Amino acid sequence: MSTRWRFYLVGFLLLMAIDTAAQLCFKLAALHAAPFAIDPGWLLRVLREPWVYGAIAGYLGAFVTYMTLLKHAPVGPAFAASHLQVVSVMAASAWLFGERLAPLQLLGAALIVLGILVLARAEDEVAQAETTHAC
Amino acid sequence: MPPISFALWLLVLVFDTGGQLAFKAASGVPGEGLGHWRAMAVRPWLWLGIAAFACEFVTWLAFLSVVPLAEGVLLSCLNMTAVMLGGRWLFGERLTARRLLGVALITLGVVLVGIG
Repeated sequence: MSTRWRFYLVGFLLLMAIDTAAQLCFKLAALHAAPFAIDPGWLLRVLREPWVYGAIAGYLGAFVTYMTLLKHAPVGPAFAASHLQVVSVMAASAWLFGERLAPLQLLGAALIVLGILVLARAEDEVAQAETTHAC
Repeated sequence: MPPISFALWLLVLVFDTGGQLAFKAASGVPGEGLGHWRAMAVRPWLWLGIAAFACEFVTWLAFLSVVPLAEGVLLSCLNMTAVMLGGRWLFGERLTARRLLGVALITLGVVLVGIG
């Protein structure tokens, strides 16, 4: 594998891992601050949850990683990398929280993943057209 | 889906799409380097984007309090459809055949996750 592809792969996996960790932190913060109610008490409980700060750190980390990846990788793979965490989040939710999706929902998830891959190709196509246009 | 989950899902959608479109509008302000940031700071777009993301943060936490994580993350993929339509409507971004196919697949997938 060339150095460039190794860089993409590491960046891709890193971004997915950070995004997944951030979402897990969100869910853990929500679970710990339960029961949810539309009142200031709930908001205060949330802000006292350390998991919320994990989620914020994850968002910041994901932002920096995405910007770095975008500087070097084509926009399509970068787009896919920033959205395909749905797959790792599904796996982690099943494993950590025992969540189960209904068969119809799994079909929906497959369509969403396919849609993200198509959009990633579409972004590459548009970026290439714009570059050609600019020249 | 219970009404409270549905309402929170719509709010997440509105704040996320609004925030992304506001940031896009902010980035279109002319200027280079520090001057660009100064120009953005005196216009509402950047601040509107930051406010929208702060609201989204709280709403997302509330949404995940009432739906399982995997389902929440899958349902939030509709944001991509909304941002793409908003980009077309406000900034005249091109909706190529491939982009349309992508958002159609995602939208159909979200519907199946929602009713499943």
